[in-house]
Amino acid sequence: MYNYVEDGDSKTTAYVEHDQAKYDAFMARIEAGDKIEADDWMPEDYRQALIKLISMHGISEIMGALPEKEWVPKAPTLRRKLGIMAKVQDEMGHGQLLLRVAEDLMKPYGKTRENLMEDLLNKDLKFHNVFHMPTKTWADAGMVGWLVDGAAIISQTNMLDASYGPYQRALQRICQEEVFHAQHGESIIMALAEGNDYQRDILQESLNRWWPSLLMFFGPASAETTGSSKQDIMIKYKIRKSTNEELRQAFLSKYMPRVFSLGLTVPDETIHYDENEEKWIYKQPDWEEFKQIIRGNGPRSKERLRIREIAYENNRWVRQALATEPVGV
Amino acid sequence: MAKESDFYQVYEVFSRRGSKAPMQHQFSLLAPNREMAMMMAQENFMRREEVIDVWVVKQNDIRKMTSEERQSMTNRLDNKQYRTTKGYGYLRQKWKEKEQGMLDEKEIMSWKEVKKK
Repeated sequence: MYNYVEDGDSKTTAYVEHDQAKYDAFMARIEAGDKIEADDWMPEDYRQALIKLISMHGISEIMGALPEKEWVPKAPTLRRKLGIMAKVQDEMGHGQLLLRVAEDLMKPYGKTRENLMEDLLNKDLKFHNVFHMPTKTWADAGMVGWLVDGAAIISQTNMLDASYGPYQRALQRICQEEVFHAQHGESIIMALAEGNDYQRDILQESLNRWWPSLLMFFGPASAETTGSSKQDIMIKYKIRKSTNEELRQAFLSKYMPRVFSLGLTVPDETIHYDENEEKWIYKQPDWEEFKQIIRGNGPRSKERLRIREIAYENNRWVRQALATEPVGV
Repeated sequence: MAKESDFYQVYEVFSRRGSKAPMQHQFSLLAPNREMAMMMAQENFMRREEVIDVWVVKQNDIRKMTSEERQSMTNRLDNKQYRTTKGYGYLRQKWKEKEQGMLDEKEIMSWKEVKKK
């Protein structure tokens, strides 16, 4: 996918400095709906925004598999076990697709997947706030598929037309598989919602716990809240279409009627849809807490990173053993 | 010791859905060798899809178009009409006047069987 030098040699050349003519041609291409490929000229801030977005997305897929895999041995039936196993495997697959896309973008800086893993363990590479949270009951396994993946689907489908070709192609595949994840989650939720008192209790308790994380998922409405935000640059370069707040509103519009239809409530007595303003009015989550969580100071941040670290270290010998071509092939 | 990352190669993955389908590019992956690339291709891209064949190709072995070459492909002159059936549409009316049907693509591609003697 990259060709910095003629004839497919993958040697890296130095990154090209800002060039107004090239910049104008680039903007004209993305305005016309053209897709940018890894070896096309692109502005530095476009490349950097993509690396940040896609490496964070890729690592989040992998870190997201960790809280879910805890439920594979504890799934209540064989069918549920197979379902959640398939989902965990999908998440790892999504991570691999996305890391590949990020690697091609990082190539001019001489960075590789190994560097991303180091960044993750050093807390320089952040992952989604929701995956820093604990899962306590089986209802959480359903909640992750239904509302956490629901939130992810809202933000990922918003980028299906992204100007960057490789990311947009990865997202087509990812979003198709997310449909399975969403229905897998709905099925667990539906069984609990229509179950006995205990089942309904753990479902409500789970939603109460996940609520602030779900609101936080889309990020703050503006940079003033947390000090930085890449949303403007992402919209300017047609990576995504909508702002954080627009996506959160879309999520509330899609999912609140479903939440209420199951007889569930959310821990915010003020939440309602304002017909005049045409938007959901809700209590803001604690954005200071959000900052702490994504910095790696969430309730499960340390444990999850440790699992990742142990897996990485323990499997080092496998990677090294496999590094050469098998004999006789 | 060499860096661990140097062990990995980028492989491009291709697969075919059915015997009539073309080989289709799926995505790329990192693998230490061809056998692992084949295994990971199946894990990563063929968990659900119907697939009857898979190829993995080391990316360095592919001569791809450069960015410039691709741009010039999209700017080619639109003067290929003489190579297509576009200019022959008037024949439909001509044949109709002679009470005959047009042998268009749909018709010709349907000639799989001829009458057995």
